[in-house]
Amino acid sequence: MVISNRFVLAAVAAVAAIAAPSIAFAAPCGTITLGSAISFTGKYSTNGIHAKNGYDIAVKRVNEMGGVKIGGKCYNLAVKYYDDESTPARTAQLLERLIKQDGIKYMLGPYSSATTKAAAPVIEKYKIPMVEAEGASRSLFNKGYKYLFCVISTSEQYLASSIALAAEIAKKMGKKPGDVKVAMAFENDPFSLDVRAGVIDDIKKHGLKIVIDDKLPRDLSDMSATLTKVRALKPDLLLISGHSKGAATAGRQIAEMKIDTPMIALTHCEAAKIVKKYGGAVNGFLCPTQWAETLSYKGKYFGTAAEYDKLFKATYDGYKNVPYQAAQASAAVLVWKEGFEAAGSLDTEKVRDALAATKMQTFYGNIKFSKAGNNIAKPMVLRQIQDGKFNVVAPAKWASHKVVYPRMAK
Amino acid sequence: MTTDTTTASLAVREAASGTARRRITRNDVMMYAAILVFGIVAPIIFPNYTYQIAVLWLMVLFAQTWDLVGGQMGYNSLGNIFFFGAGMYICTVTQIGLFTDVGAYTSSSDGGQFEFSTEQYYIGVAVGLVLAAIGASVLAVMLGWIVFGLRGPYFAIGTLGIALGAGELVGAWEWVGGGGGIPIPVYPGSGDGKAFFYYALCFGTAVATFAFLKWLYSTRFGLAINAIRDDEEKAEAMGIHTLRHKTVAWAISAFFLGIAGGLFGNMTGFIEPLEVAFPVITFGIFMVAMALLGGKGTMWGPVLGAVLFHIIKETTWTYFLGWQWVALGVIIILNIMFFQQGIVGWMQEKWPDLFGIEVDRSLVADTADDRARGRGV
Repeated sequence: MVISNRFVLAAVAAVAAIAAPSIAFAAPCGTITLGSAISFTGKYSTNGIHAKNGYDIAVKRVNEMGGVKIGGKCYNLAVKYYDDESTPARTAQLLERLIKQDGIKYMLGPYSSATTKAAAPVIEKYKIPMVEAEGASRSLFNKGYKYLFCVISTSEQYLASSIALAAEIAKKMGKKPGDVKVAMAFENDPFSLDVRAGVIDDIKKHGLKIVIDDKLPRDLSDMSATLTKVRALKPDLLLISGHSKGAATAGRQIAEMKIDTPMIALTHCEAAKIVKKYGGAVNGFLCPTQWAETLSYKGKYFGTAAEYDKLFKATYDGYKNVPYQAAQASAAVLVWKEGFEAAGSLDTEKVRDALAATKMQTFYGNIKFSKAGNNIAKPMVLRQIQDGKFNVVAPAKWASHKVVYPRMAK
Repeated sequence: MTTDTTTASLAVREAASGTARRRITRNDVMMYAAILVFGIVAPIIFPNYTYQIAVLWLMVLFAQTWDLVGGQMGYNSLGNIFFFGAGMYICTVTQIGLFTDVGAYTSSSDGGQFEFSTEQYYIGVAVGLVLAAIGASVLAVMLGWIVFGLRGPYFAIGTLGIALGAGELVGAWEWVGGGGGIPIPVYPGSGDGKAFFYYALCFGTAVATFAFLKWLYSTRFGLAINAIRDDEEKAEAMGIHTLRHKTVAWAISAFFLGIAGGLFGNMTGFIEPLEVAFPVITFGIFMVAMALLGGKGTMWGPVLGAVLFHIIKETTWTYFLGWQWVALGVIIILNIMFFQQGIVGWMQEKWPDLFGIEVDRSLVADTADDRARGRGV
């Protein structure tokens, strides 16, 4: 056991020796290293990788444009990543490591609300600011966190507009709201539970009727039990939320089981690449999105939303649609860049204050944080898959196309 | 897993005089001193690694408590993680429930902020940990009454079912936040202060667990659970109340795991049922793998196994990102195929003198024969 203790010491020392020099290399500009523990493996890996691509493309862009300028000195951005394996149990450990061992003082968020909820107490504890782009649950913003900033709209807004749409269509067709049957299947995690809470508020408001209220299984690989009930009860609206893996499962099984519900709304369509995978079978799905390349947003780093879309597709292979998860990750990096420059300092407290005062226009939309840290300057939009294209159908201000009802699988 | 190697090494140990278990040699004293010194000095020398070393002590605790039931008593539980999660939830709910309404605190939509004062925080943690330990033990007694009717693989699967089922049940329980989880009250001091506070508690609990088990194995109780492992019918025939012994052993295991759960929840800062509280496929399997790696049914095996396992895990996680699970898989396979008796078990066979084991050579020849025959068939 004495030997094994020496081994512990030696191993720990070796770890320290390898970790130390990773930051220092000579360049005309200094380096600011942001840290992120994000999902490269596990059930959130699809979106974890989209987010990483988003971070990387923005870091590259900022560095190409001369880096971050603070008091006449320039700094290049870099990101240090760890894999959280899609579990919040790892998040706290990895953030401790980023902060304590790698000396990271500026954080980018993980993917998913659950991991962000695990990250928030750690960054609060060490007073390390974090700009996150992938944790939307409202429960993140009622705890009084001071170092947490989020560029996206909160999750209760994701499927809310589809309820309004269903109520509106029912009214046009002369149906009573109480006759509109709603089926729901949600993942049992902070994000989807908050989506569900928002949906239930709206269902009550419009007086619709819930006929199925299911939870998706933990690995999100099968929802045939819910879909069997859907076949029997014939709801008018089917709502599903289970991140990318849940969306992929839903797309596949809805096609296989030939579900003919006239209106289906589903989160994470783009990220799950369901059009590429299932083609005409998913025609007519309604997909809420934080961002769309067709919107008229514009900023100084990437130009318009469409230009970002083009650049992203040229940089990374295999994207038919750029998922909003990537776009918002890029936006988070831009917020950091402007935050540093507004603060004119690398001091975490000064940077935190500068971040809190952020007010910027980007290709991703406007960004302005509430006191709680969430972005209140940007709406969610609802798109429908129409002949393989994602067209904005709600809210009316942004709509470019009319919603097709009932949906037709092709 | 076949038990031939375990029984063989056991035969060697049983051949040793009973006093070998109790006698403390100079080697032992030096070993204890070295570990205690490391435990106390580590957070001072490596302040940046405090969190990881604290988790290391929990890993040691996991392996030891698993070994009490799996190694010493021969009941391979795959569901011990249940007590970890139960302790975590009991502790957290106590910490919150003492001072505010749990349902409102965990609600994801409205909810709100509740500031815990310094005093409230420490009272909450203290009461929470005590209740976690007691609560987990009570659950073990209740469940033990049901599952100890099962043997071998049926017991393993039965306990696995308990752990998996618990995760799903808690996930559907809205009062404790369901799948949305619970953010833990925030530590009132500095970040480093929190790290040291929980480090001290983790280290203390792991040492207490070790000392308690060391004592327990030297008593009649230790011999009784060994007898249950070796031949439960015979043990029963000899007048050992087997169900009572098994239940008490499991409750002891649960007692320490409950505390570990309460500590880990506080260290993580956010708990939810599937990944943090009842992580069957990570910690739940790790505790078995660590005990097997080090050598199940030995005092030091689980400790050594946990230390090696944790170091390998943390190293691969940092430097071989994407390969960490492959590395762990390879270790487990090598372990199961070539080192079924684990590292300490293998060392005991190779150098029995080091462990204060007196070997009756004639008996060893017999068991070696037995083993050869066992493998041949």
